[in-house]
Amino acid sequence: MKIDRRLLIHFDWVLLILVIFISLGGILNLYSTGHNLAAAGSKPLFMKQLYWLGVGLCLMGVAAAVDYRFMVRHAYWVYAGIVLLLVMVLFFGNVANGSQRWLSVGGFSVQPSEFAKIGLILVLTRYITENQIGEAYEIRNLLVPFGLVLIPVLLIARQPDLGTALFLVILSSSIVFFIGVKRKALLIFSGAGVTFMPLFWFFLKDYQKDRVLTFFNPERDPLGAGYHIIQSVIAIGSGGFSGKGFLKGTQSQLKFLPEQQTDFVFSVFAEEWGFAGVIVLLALFLFLVLWGVRIARNSRDLSGTLIAFGVTAMFFWGCFINLCMVIGVLPVVGIPLPFFSYGGSSMVAMMIGIGLLINVSMRRFILQP
Amino acid sequence: MAKENARLTKYDPGTFRRRFDAIVWVVFLAFFFIAGKLWFFQIIRGGELKQRSESNRIRFQEIKPLRGLILDREGNILVDNTPSFDVSMIPEMAKNSREVLERLALLENENGDRWNKQLKRNGGRQPFVPVRIERDVSWRDIALIEMNAFQLPGIVVDVVPVRDYRFGETAAHILGYVGEVGSGELEGGMIAQYRPGDLVGKMGIERIVDRELRGESGGEQIEVNVSGRKIRVLGVKPPQPGNTVVLTLSSDLQGISWRAFKEKAGSVVVMDPRDGSVLAMVSKPSYDPNLFNRGISGEEWRNLLEDPLCPLQNRAVLGLYPPGSLFKLIVATAGLEEKVVSPDKKVFCSGFHTVGDRTFRCWSRYGHGSVDLHRAIVESCDSYFYELGAQLGVDTIARYAFLFGLGRKSGIGLPGEQEGLVPSREWKLRKMKEPWQIGETVALAIGQGFVLTTPLQLLRAYCAVANGGILFRPRIVDRIQSPDGGSFRVIPPEIDGYLPVEPAHLKYLKEALRGTVHEDRGTGRVLKELETIGVRVCGKTGTAQVIKLPQEEYRDAEQIPYKHRDHALFVCFAPYQEPEIAVMVVVEHGGGGGAVAAPIARQILMEYFMGKKNRMLPAGGGTLPFAGTGGAG
Repeated sequence: MKIDRRLLIHFDWVLLILVIFISLGGILNLYSTGHNLAAAGSKPLFMKQLYWLGVGLCLMGVAAAVDYRFMVRHAYWVYAGIVLLLVMVLFFGNVANGSQRWLSVGGFSVQPSEFAKIGLILVLTRYITENQIGEAYEIRNLLVPFGLVLIPVLLIARQPDLGTALFLVILSSSIVFFIGVKRKALLIFSGAGVTFMPLFWFFLKDYQKDRVLTFFNPERDPLGAGYHIIQSVIAIGSGGFSGKGFLKGTQSQLKFLPEQQTDFVFSVFAEEWGFAGVIVLLALFLFLVLWGVRIARNSRDLSGTLIAFGVTAMFFWGCFINLCMVIGVLPVVGIPLPFFSYGGSSMVAMMIGIGLLINVSMRRFILQP
Repeated sequence: MAKENARLTKYDPGTFRRRFDAIVWVVFLAFFFIAGKLWFFQIIRGGELKQRSESNRIRFQEIKPLRGLILDREGNILVDNTPSFDVSMIPEMAKNSREVLERLALLENENGDRWNKQLKRNGGRQPFVPVRIERDVSWRDIALIEMNAFQLPGIVVDVVPVRDYRFGETAAHILGYVGEVGSGELEGGMIAQYRPGDLVGKMGIERIVDRELRGESGGEQIEVNVSGRKIRVLGVKPPQPGNTVVLTLSSDLQGISWRAFKEKAGSVVVMDPRDGSVLAMVSKPSYDPNLFNRGISGEEWRNLLEDPLCPLQNRAVLGLYPPGSLFKLIVATAGLEEKVVSPDKKVFCSGFHTVGDRTFRCWSRYGHGSVDLHRAIVESCDSYFYELGAQLGVDTIARYAFLFGLGRKSGIGLPGEQEGLVPSREWKLRKMKEPWQIGETVALAIGQGFVLTTPLQLLRAYCAVANGGILFRPRIVDRIQSPDGGSFRVIPPEIDGYLPVEPAHLKYLKEALRGTVHEDRGTGRVLKELETIGVRVCGKTGTAQVIKLPQEEYRDAEQIPYKHRDHALFVCFAPYQEPEIAVMVVVEHGGGGGAVAAPIARQILMEYFMGKKNRMLPAGGGTLPFAGTGGAG
């Protein structure tokens, strides 16, 4: 297949540079968190993350090169593959911190639930582009997508990884609502949600209930579950306007801040770089999201719009939920901050998402309306 | 391909324009919300949260000061500090503190329950602050702990200075001891500056000059990590060690006195009559103050408290004894000053004396014959003083007794000092609601009956006679030195009063006291031996009745129950011309003063004057027997 010259001309360099910039910032921040960790022998996390960034960039290239319409056409296969992986996790997965989320593949741990985000975006795009009715969806049009979402969500909730399961629900709902849902269907869905919420409570494990209760009252257990939120807020706030300086965050360097390489990685950044640094980072994320919206807007076909919108929604919700979590606005549900939190699968999945955005972006000119 | 194109033609990007506009708004709003929250935390609450992060990481660790030394008048160390090992526990560092303590108990053959209680009692402390579970642990046990450290998470060993009382029980009462400040002491406003766990002087010198000895705590600002482990020191304020307290005490004389006093219970006080300095103060039975270093065990403490001989009591200032014949000096002085008696006046002693319708015995059942005041003092004739006392009356005697410093605190400042008791008509009416009896005056004249004195009071009174009439406030602290010895402040002698006695009378009394030792039939003639080294001594014996016994019975002292036996008293000063040392001896239930107490005083004076002679020799005799640091000897 001959590569169309126009694809190279319209390659989205802005997006690529922006994302590499953010990722390198994230890796620098990880370097700081590991700075005082005297874990001799094992590779420092920021090195691993750097490696995952490389892997992610390669897969991004693939995700950008293959025409997204081809992907949409084979979305069900992708979806089936991911569901299979999720089922395998339940049987062969590695257990860590009380939940079974990882599959060992050739010496690496892969977290299929991260890739389920991409899979869901593709499969919903496929379903919606095939079932356009020219108006907002009614309840009967939503049964199939509901089923498509429910399968991975249940599998992930079973791990248990409630945060990611809820994230998938929010992401899918964003896509569906973007297309449009009849008011009646909306009411029925939210009604069902409210009805099943108390039931849901009984399925929660004790530590999960603890987290929710603590979220509503962090001082309930200041040395236990509430400790995370309190220490995170102290870390962020103590950064003040200009921050304590790179490698000089006392909350993080002295390990008062828990989970500082995953969930609370932003608190480390906020402590060391202060409000000034935080605003720059927020601006970069905002720019990324708006850029994604622009790509979705400029796409020449519905599948491109939906893929770009889905990926953008994934970035947006990732940032928003994680940031709300670390400033104590939402319970600690374990959603990583895109490009910042340590985690190979998350990094790679996010880079694939960027590849999809570039894919849609550079093909807007070669598709003839 | 055509099918696909058909689908594409149906797509109109404009369909979603309003939706995209709304989404952009939502995104802006969301980021604005986050930014606002961050503004709130970092800018508005930034200062407060910064402080919280500081208090997370910075801990203030008190550095206890080194307690001041206590020296004797020659600069010998009486009380020093010595390193000791404390075992503490940081419960947060042990998964199961009970288990760790059990392992520790096994290692040390101890009972871990006590430690568990200790931990519980300290429940309300800051996390990661160690709780002391055992003090003054032996070197062997410390070695065992260090060897098994990996099995004992949370167990830490600290090196702390403890008091080293070099003279042990020989100077226990005067020096006192230290202990952890009690909750009662914490509440009292006077020592509000103490914190729980601080050491405070509990008795003796340690207590009365605690303020000088304790120094000032320093501190260390340390940065800790989340497990409370020290990362680095941020700032240090060095502690200010306590001042050195130099006592008037002579370790030499203290040792001599302790060794001379071989009896069961009683006291020896040695004083310099020229300025009231206390040179030695022994109280027996005693205890080892070093016991208190490791927090005395309940049983040891109970034993000390319940011992019928009260070893914790400093008898020199707390012991109350009838002065017996030592009181005759006061009655004699009153007689001379009030012109009731002239030195030549004689009384015939036939072994007993009748006042009013009652008959009183003299201690000598055969009588002293015709005696004047001089002989009456020399031979301690009771009959003479019965007569004299009855003429003076109780209130005059009481007035003189008070002028001699009896019936009131000497002002030495040692804790618990007793006032003693000098009875008067008014006192008896007030206390007993009964009028004074003439017979009681007669008893008072020989220091019996109600009158009670401490050894220190009696010594002070005799010192006043020795130095020509000045009643000094007993002086125990000579000077306070800065820890480096650079500057010091002398505590000058203090005059409490003057005896209202004519010099001629004073001279007369002193002569009589000399006679007690150096004349025939003098009651204190066992000290005559000092003539061999050219020292002449003034003294007075006393035998204080504890209980009234029919004197015909129990002539053999051994048959009298211990607690009913007489107290033996003796006081003396020397040399006769220019007295420089005065000794007071009380032997509880020892019997006769001349037979039991006087020999002790004799040995003390002998060793004192012999030692002085040796020291004056040009070389070789310089080593003090109790000098703390060994040298060429």
